[in-house]
Amino acid sequence: MFFRFLEAFNGEPLLLYLGVIGIAIAGGGIPPIIERNRRRKIENSLPGLLESLASSVGAGHGLQEAMMEQSKSAPGLLSELLKETLEESHSSDINSALTSFSAKTRSSQVQRVMMLLETAMEQDAPLQGILDSLSHDYERLNDLINRRENELLGRGILIIMFVSVGLPGLIAFIVGLFAPASAGFKLDDFNATFGTFFAAASAVGVGVSGRMLGRLKSYLWFIPLWMAISMGLYLGAVKVIGGG
Amino acid sequence: MRILDEKREGLYVIRTLDVLMSSGVGLEAALHTIGQGGYGIISEDFSKIMKRLSGGKSRGLEYELKSMMNLAESDGYRRLLNTLYTNVTQNTDVVETLRKQGSRMEEERAEEVKKYIEELGGVPETLLSIGMIGPIILSIAGLIPQLLTGDIAAFMSIPDPALISGVVNGGLILTLVGMMLIGLKAHTKDPGL
Repeated sequence: MFFRFLEAFNGEPLLLYLGVIGIAIAGGGIPPIIERNRRRKIENSLPGLLESLASSVGAGHGLQEAMMEQSKSAPGLLSELLKETLEESHSSDINSALTSFSAKTRSSQVQRVMMLLETAMEQDAPLQGILDSLSHDYERLNDLINRRENELLGRGILIIMFVSVGLPGLIAFIVGLFAPASAGFKLDDFNATFGTFFAAASAVGVGVSGRMLGRLKSYLWFIPLWMAISMGLYLGAVKVIGGG
Repeated sequence: MRILDEKREGLYVIRTLDVLMSSGVGLEAALHTIGQGGYGIISEDFSKIMKRLSGGKSRGLEYELKSMMNLAESDGYRRLLNTLYTNVTQNTDVVETLRKQGSRMEEERAEEVKKYIEELGGVPETLLSIGMIGPIILSIAGLIPQLLTGDIAAFMSIPDPALISGVVNGGLILTLVGMMLIGLKAHTKDPGL
């Protein structure tokens, strides 16, 4: 039955190519999603870590000592990485430990903080005040990033559903109902044109949705699959509703 | 885009300058530190300034800052350069001004995100409207040669099917362009987080 279904689209090579390429490429989109989730977990726990470090430094501990304490007591991925780094770099200086830690997190936020801390230590600047102000800065920044994501995620999904699923479904319904192939209408060229249009519109929709969330690069991996879904939905629905 | 990079990096540059200068580092040394990298386009700008200064091709830091102000695209970055320029020419309290500017920039960023979310609220519906109205009209237009045949077609003098097909194709391309233009708002109004 599955092969018969596929054979129904033999006259639409673009759809078949897009389907195959889409399924193959979609796998590439999964690692960026996992990496992003990991990075956001780290970044969301950064203000808490900085606040605790500020308290420890304020109580008279050195930065390395404060970091060691926090890595043991604080839960989460960030403190695990910190612990791992400090254990590995026990014999080297704090600057190389900070550099190694920021590289391990793969987060630009952590990298900026560590760079600033290194500069502050080089200049003998008051660390407590800096850590405290960084903690507030990054808390506000993360609140904004989370807010953007929470509020726009629904809209992003809505765009994809509207453009990639709703639109081809609706037009297929109209065409299938008023110009069914079973009644002798010859719509091969017409359907090929509209199928291509829905694939292109779907690519635009997915791209816009990804850009809204600031994740265009990771959404690019899913564009061919959504193009195939959109085109397949239109052509399939026209065949089902209009027969032929 | 330069403006997005300036918006994204501006606040971090202010915080770094604050840390450096409040711990006694001079303005030129602070600019040199930022120019070494890590702050995108602003690092590139500061690096160019330092290269020109150290190469003896410049009339002085104040002129370099002034000319960089003409290049700046975002208000925040232009204000930062102006603060540095005023410090060089009038010896003002740069640290205090930078702190105030940082807070202001942060407030502006929060406002911009709020505005961005509000402005993008209607994008799904607008995209669907444009994406729906165009294809519905064009699909009916494309079906006309087959729906109206015989005497009715002769009576209504229906254009050549090739012409109708051309109009439909052109219309679909225009619809796509319209959808892209609506979606472009998501890129151009990005607050640069």
